[in-house]
Amino acid sequence: MNLGKIHKDVAVVGAGMTLFSRRLQETGKEMSWQAAQMALDQAGLTLDDIDAVIMGSAPDAFDGVHKKGDWLIDGAGGVNKPYMRVYTGGGTAVFAPIAGWWHVASGMFERVLVVCEEKMSSCQPHAQSAFAHIWDPILDRPLKPNLVWIFAMEMQRYMHTYNVRYEDIALVAVKNKRNAVGHPCAQLADPDITLEDVINSEPMALPVRRLDISPPSDGAAALVLVSEDTAYELTNEPVWMDGVGWCIDSTMWTNRDLAFPKFVARAARMAYEMAGIKNPREEIDIAEPYDPFDYKELQHLEALGLADPGEAAIMTREGKTQRDGELPVCPSGGLLGVGNPIAATLGIKVGELFWQLSGQAGARQVPGDPAVGVAQAWGDLMQFSSVIVMRRRP
Amino acid sequence: MTFSEKFQKTTDVKHWLGDMEVDHFLYTAGIAGEAFFVALRDKGVILGTRCELCGITYVPPRIYCEHCFAELNEYTDVGLRGRVRSFTIARLGKDGNELKKPEIFAVIDFGSGTTGLLHKLGEVTPETVKVGLDVEAVLKPKSQRGGHITDIEYFRPVG
Repeated sequence: MNLGKIHKDVAVVGAGMTLFSRRLQETGKEMSWQAAQMALDQAGLTLDDIDAVIMGSAPDAFDGVHKKGDWLIDGAGGVNKPYMRVYTGGGTAVFAPIAGWWHVASGMFERVLVVCEEKMSSCQPHAQSAFAHIWDPILDRPLKPNLVWIFAMEMQRYMHTYNVRYEDIALVAVKNKRNAVGHPCAQLADPDITLEDVINSEPMALPVRRLDISPPSDGAAALVLVSEDTAYELTNEPVWMDGVGWCIDSTMWTNRDLAFPKFVARAARMAYEMAGIKNPREEIDIAEPYDPFDYKELQHLEALGLADPGEAAIMTREGKTQRDGELPVCPSGGLLGVGNPIAATLGIKVGELFWQLSGQAGARQVPGDPAVGVAQAWGDLMQFSSVIVMRRRP
Repeated sequence: MTFSEKFQKTTDVKHWLGDMEVDHFLYTAGIAGEAFFVALRDKGVILGTRCELCGITYVPPRIYCEHCFAELNEYTDVGLRGRVRSFTIARLGKDGNELKKPEIFAVIDFGSGTTGLLHKLGEVTPETVKVGLDVEAVLKPKSQRGGHITDIEYFRPVG
């Protein structure tokens, strides 16, 4: 990494997202356009002002269109512009804005639109059928693996290694589904959910139960990124992408210890170094780690250096990760509360930090004027992580 | 900007049914995979390859080390015994319906420094399975083995 080669600081000046829902009538293109138009409106720009477009979307098999990045182009606003699709599974949510960042940071483009979309309901009877084809076709698939039970084994190993109680993990689902109550796009908000509801929910692949996991969803989200040259012409409250990092481990997931995701820690180290963060526990005000399962929020907090291994569960039990706690975690409501249209979770990770750090999060606003946040996503075959550190400047 | 409400039946809105008409795919097992599956079928053994430099034994074998890119061409019999690194008790199938009987899946290590193998556990109950359980492979009779990962029926507790 050569920080001296970064030419421009990059700011988010607008964000948008659609409703997240189990099924939306809108096509992927229509959702993309809705989210992109909202982000442009907030930035006070029109499509003509945009120099390049980044599209983020996960497996083609969800929408059922091969090379769907090309297909979605008109909804994403990429027609007759420099345009590319990036894809790192669930990690796309934070990786697409990183791709947008390097377009601007390189000095090549001034205004970049980042759009992420997922329409999982096209995949019948269930998106799980598409996930069944991400495995090694000869070693794994004859055993008929299912994504849920692979995660269940990771959760089991995490609990075993660090002596973490299931009840503490389940509290993450309670917190996030309650946090989502203030989110206008939420699919899974529940103001009355209790720990008992999660503990007594249907066993899927133990230790994973129904409410430990975020179900499939349709949705889209978008950001407008600009350089330091024009950010203050567009808004008084730009939020700066001060550090980016990403890292991927082998597809052979059985190589790993399963308890601590080292590739997340490496991605975080890269982002922290770029942002000049020396002590994340002291310096980070808000975290939006990827939470498709409740235990993932805890593992990710630990790999992000915001808790020691096994400690995130204790912090959760003690209420430190609540919206008004020492370290608010997933104040958006996260994937567990707002929903999980894979790449479109951009809106509840980087989008949420933009709204929080610019004081626009409304009912979800974290108190105390937060200035520094970290967003993280995770994906591919549970092997990839992307991290962005964001700051509001005084 | 308004959004359409959630709808319950996918056929309630104008739609079109389609598929991506690839009939099927043919996957080769590769050089290391051929050695692994032929040995499993003909000799009833589990093979690995070892990178001495990195101290990793790959099970199933690979012809390169993913960390240092060394070529790995000596196959080692790692034995049929292993240890459960993690497991899950699957209660629901892919269609969301309850399975007739819970199935237990596990990642199994063959000694320290090996990569894990994904497989099923048998002759063990949800109550007695645990991380660290010592297990052994139960193979199909030779006449029924075809050189597939399912030539191993499951792993069961030792002793």
